[in-house]
Amino acid sequence: MPDVLTTPAYRWVGHNPPRKESLEKVTGSAKYLDDLKFEGCLHGKTVRSTVPHGRIKKISFEPGVPWDEFTVVTARDIPGKNVVSLIELDQPFLADGLVRHMAEPVVLLAHPDKGMAEKAVKRVHIEYEELPAILTIEESLAGGNIQYGKDNIFKKYHIQKGDPESVWPKADVVIEGEYWTGPQEQLYIEPQGVVAVASPTGGVTVWGSMQCPFYVHKGLKPLFNLPDDRVRVIYTVTGGGFGGKEEYPTLPAGHAALLSWKAGGRPVKIVYDRMEDMWATTKRHPCKTRVKAAFTKDGKLLALKVDATMDGGAYVTLSTVVLSRGTLHAFGPYACDHVVIDTRAVFTNSPPYGAFRGFGAPQTIFPLELHLHRAACELGIEPHELRRRNLLHQGDRMATGQVMQEETGLEGLMWKAMDESKYLEKTKAYREHNRSSTRIKKGVALALFFHGAGFTGSGEVFLDSKAGLELTRDGAVRILSANTEIGQGSFTTHSQIVAEELRIPYEMVEVAVPDTAVVPNSGPTVASRTCMVVGELLRRAASDLKEVLVKSGALAGNGHTPSEFRAAAGKYLQRFGELKVYSKYKPPPDVSWDDKTYTGSAYAAYAWACYVADLEIDMATYQAQMKDFVAVQEVGRVIHPVIAAGQIEGGVAQAIGWALYEDVALKQGVMQNCQLTNYILPTTADTPPIRVFFYENPYQNGPFGAKGLGELPMDGPAPAIAAAVAFALGDRIIPRIPILPETILDAIS
Amino acid sequence: MDLLDLMKSSIRAPGRLVNLLTIDELKGIDVDTSGATIGALATLAEIADHPDLARMFPALALAAGHAATPQVRNVATIGGNILQRPRCWYFRMAQYPCLKKGGDTCFAMDGENKYHAIFENSLCAMVHPSNTAVALLALDAVVRTAGSGEIPIRKFFVTPDQDILRESALAEGELVTQLFIPATGARSHYLEFRERQSFDWALVSAAAAAELEGQTLNNARVVLGSVAPIPWRIDLGEIAATDEALDRAADEAVRGATPLAKNKYKVQLARTAIRRSLRELARATE
Repeated sequence: MPDVLTTPAYRWVGHNPPRKESLEKVTGSAKYLDDLKFEGCLHGKTVRSTVPHGRIKKISFEPGVPWDEFTVVTARDIPGKNVVSLIELDQPFLADGLVRHMAEPVVLLAHPDKGMAEKAVKRVHIEYEELPAILTIEESLAGGNIQYGKDNIFKKYHIQKGDPESVWPKADVVIEGEYWTGPQEQLYIEPQGVVAVASPTGGVTVWGSMQCPFYVHKGLKPLFNLPDDRVRVIYTVTGGGFGGKEEYPTLPAGHAALLSWKAGGRPVKIVYDRMEDMWATTKRHPCKTRVKAAFTKDGKLLALKVDATMDGGAYVTLSTVVLSRGTLHAFGPYACDHVVIDTRAVFTNSPPYGAFRGFGAPQTIFPLELHLHRAACELGIEPHELRRRNLLHQGDRMATGQVMQEETGLEGLMWKAMDESKYLEKTKAYREHNRSSTRIKKGVALALFFHGAGFTGSGEVFLDSKAGLELTRDGAVRILSANTEIGQGSFTTHSQIVAEELRIPYEMVEVAVPDTAVVPNSGPTVASRTCMVVGELLRRAASDLKEVLVKSGALAGNGHTPSEFRAAAGKYLQRFGELKVYSKYKPPPDVSWDDKTYTGSAYAAYAWACYVADLEIDMATYQAQMKDFVAVQEVGRVIHPVIAAGQIEGGVAQAIGWALYEDVALKQGVMQNCQLTNYILPTTADTPPIRVFFYENPYQNGPFGAKGLGELPMDGPAPAIAAAVAFALGDRIIPRIPILPETILDAIS
Repeated sequence: MDLLDLMKSSIRAPGRLVNLLTIDELKGIDVDTSGATIGALATLAEIADHPDLARMFPALALAAGHAATPQVRNVATIGGNILQRPRCWYFRMAQYPCLKKGGDTCFAMDGENKYHAIFENSLCAMVHPSNTAVALLALDAVVRTAGSGEIPIRKFFVTPDQDILRESALAEGELVTQLFIPATGARSHYLEFRERQSFDWALVSAAAAAELEGQTLNNARVVLGSVAPIPWRIDLGEIAATDEALDRAADEAVRGATPLAKNKYKVQLARTAIRRSLRELARATE
């Protein structure tokens, strides 16, 4: 049981009722996409490009295959627009004439026999006229080979506060460093999968494993030139997403629908196997960052300059917003008068990089925090003390101009984390140990950080989300929301919030399947927004629903028992037929954002944290083994402590993988090690005890005070681990992750 | 062998499969004073948990116990384990027509070769993936087959130079029935390094064996796994059981390594594996 440092005063919020979907999952009766049976279903396969950049000269179908039994789709068969509707309209569903990355979809095949479909993929031959490819950030920025806009740059951001240039010459110490974070594969357990039924008469229906049914809905309409009500997208039980099922499922959904459309409306199922999933789908953006920081000799941060470049891959997809979040987390929870942040996302001929838990923030938090550790070593100040001297406090201005309205409590979180991890004793003992032991070196280090919850800037306003509740026939309440359960517990936490507000038992709250024909668009299941933003919409809907029942006279206004509520609901339905109550997003007061100058309140709420990593390195094998991990955070009200702690533990484990194990081997821009035997993911035998502590500082605009926390644990572990490695190696910074044994060997030899 | 994986990856497409699991004669473990007779269908879990094997041939029990996961060890057999095909990712991906699949290139030479061979790697840089083969070779086992009869394990594994398409000396249709390990009184030990602590193949493994006499290891040998296309045996003869002598022997043993662009790290691991496995034997003498 995680440690929550307040006593909840509620009946459901702050308690741990059983998860809404756990019985089905534990007993194996939950139906994932591939468990669904459709009469006469065809199996769809994708023929993908094998060059990073080239003109398609010829597509030929090898003789000896009964091609007449196959449904074959190319770009020419697309009834509407061959473009994925996202931020920009640059990515086709199927390459038409030109391929811009390896593993790009070119031809689709479907056959009643799955084995036949699989074999036929290799019998389709695509000839290319190969064109010069851009495979690195440096090549992209070098000019010469321009494939996007005038300069291969998808997007740039600039944040400026004060004037760092004026500070460098007069500062006691100026420290510079360059950092690199590698790509990372989301590795949800269930691979991408969809089933589509599509025809000109029946419209398009898609079932699928996904985070955001309305993203898929938006993507399919122009593909078939269909209006809203002719496209329906239905979520199926989803085995993990981590961002990998945010924007990507639109592609296989479109592919399956195109095949079904051509096959006369027969259902078509596309399920990627692990190798295809790892080869072709999105990953975390790699990022190269330069950090320059000026200090007084006693460690006051005078100026900070961060310059970060992310590799976006061959299409814009979400790179501009990933970059935005990275930009807005690059300066960390520190008070500093002179800050410049310059960031850019660039084109390369890689499969597009995409959403992944943290969404750009881990990539910029890593260099800043590791740089502060480096600075502490160079200044001869303890790393925690250097942070303490520069922490952001209530009333301070962030680099964006946002004034901290609340006390962040970071210093308290830091002392708690240091206390729980015995940080001070360990730093002393480990220095002693490392002086005498040559075989094992020990390290301990911390990182401080924040994560903004909800969409960046005006994002939530543009989303204009809507969520609702309805009374069921038996007098219970059903949640109507497009937000999906992807393992993070959203069905459960939403139900707790509604039960609490309505003062009815948790068991009396149901959750409608997210189906675009049934639920309103409450926005995507991303950005640590589901509990905080959509949860608050549901709380308000619950409040309104109660008011409707009271006003109608069905319910007494001064409290009720569950059976009184049921009776009131029954009475209301008898009289009026149905009751659906919706609420729409309203921005919190005093929160405004200027997209042009990148100033204002980037996020309405921040979660704050301090993490401590403890590890040892075997100096003969150079393997770093995590020994202990302490995660202390303030996330507003914790709705479900067990689920919340599970999110933190899972995120920390995923970040340990990013920091120490997961090495995406790229060749021609695409992943080579597309197997779980050579893309090394830590197991529970590799992860340490992950000790989770919550502080609660209720956030007034979140449901019962909740803020977002899903992405937070991805941010802090990597810099804490890299700093602990540096500690173990005698203040030798390895500025890139993953830190593999061979990286350590190279660094010290 | 790992046929199902190969079929899933479209590397093999056999027209017919024969189920051996119904042949009881291929099962079981018998240990007596002459040695251990292990049926080809004995599971890795049975071997890892067998008290007599753990006592007389600890290297084998340890090697079996380190493989894969408990679930896999419950069904995987030792016959299949020593006949695993290479884990080389170019071999495992149908789109690479490598030497082992009848092609004319070893893609690992200039490719992703961090897991590849550091010895005997001029033609094909695969590494032999079997844990138990490493221990069996250190223990001078004999492979019994339905076919040629007996093959000393030193002659069982073949290098790419000898036959690029196969990793063993088994003839077409020849079946491994038993493994026999002679009781010699030698002490043995096995250890491995891998990237994660569970569910992983070894980056480098080592089985060491030697007879004891005072402060000397006699007939000392170390077999390294995952460093060459075959389990890589190094005979050290008579050697003083001191840390310095053993470390010198380890340095000497890896001197001939020919690492590729991305696997120099394995030389260090091999040296460490030899040192630690020999020191473990020496520790037993004190």
